[in-house]
Amino acid sequence: MQDISLHLLDIIENSVRAKARNIKVRVINNVQKNRLRIIVEDDGTGMDSHTLEKAQDPFYTSKLEREKKVGLGIPLFKQNAELVGGSFKMASEPGFGTVLTVDFTLDHIDRMPLGNLKDTLLGTIIGHAEVDFYVHLIYRDKSKEQCFYLDTKAIREELGDIPLTYPDVIEYIDQSLYEGIQNTNMEDV
Amino acid sequence: MKTLADLKKIREKAQEDLKLRGGNVRIKIVVGMGTSGIAMGAREVMKTFLEEIAARNLSDVLVTQTGEKGLSSMEPVVDLIEEGKPKVTYGNMNPDKVKKVVVEHIVNGRVVSDYVVATGD
Repeated sequence: MQDISLHLLDIIENSVRAKARNIKVRVINNVQKNRLRIIVEDDGTGMDSHTLEKAQDPFYTSKLEREKKVGLGIPLFKQNAELVGGSFKMASEPGFGTVLTVDFTLDHIDRMPLGNLKDTLLGTIIGHAEVDFYVHLIYRDKSKEQCFYLDTKAIREELGDIPLTYPDVIEYIDQSLYEGIQNTNMEDV
Repeated sequence: MKTLADLKKIREKAQEDLKLRGGNVRIKIVVGMGTSGIAMGAREVMKTFLEEIAARNLSDVLVTQTGEKGLSSMEPVVDLIEEGKPKVTYGNMNPDKVKKVVVEHIVNGRVVSDYVVATGD
């Protein structure tokens, strides 16, 4: 993975695979604390402490159909955060869901870029019509705080029986995300 | 700024449109979005499908993302599913190939056999 937004996509796909119906994604660019924080919270099946530990081990995968029993998604994300003075925390409760918090040191010279957050979010939102997404982007500096919030449940209520894959809806979500990313300075992080 | 009020207009337009053609999904596109697919460019493949659907106003097409399907060496992998026809799986996809599949397969109904890696269930 070349950037953080690709890891984020991978993590969200894990939540969907865990049968989550609601997924909260928060990206917090805190210049004052020199920290880029990603939080993904789902209401999927969750994991017991043994599975939780195993999930961070590269020689484990939950995907039973797979021939090679290796899952690199989570271990690589963890490694990429920890290598640049960040941290990776996963908490889970069977039957309730999973919360993942990943911190990166903002100004670390070897930190991966955030990358194309818009395409990660657009694809997952449109590609998982069965899941509601709550996206929060926050930019914090000494003097100001800027937020963007997108809630697909509200969008769906407004649309009624029109699917998210309807061409004009794709453009609407794409444009909303674009504006949100611009307003919270997440473009070149 | 985009607001929820904009969605009302879209909804009205879409309802007219769906009334005219019955609201059926003609083709379902499934983009493999497992770890190896993502690393090989599946996000860009998904993005290109969405762009093409919006640009060509293809309102009878459904796009979804799914996990790995055990074709890691051919990622990114895409399934095209049409009612009454065998499933077509395209492999080693990239944005240019997606554009070709949209024109040839989805718009004109001709399978792009050069990119096919599997057919049927």
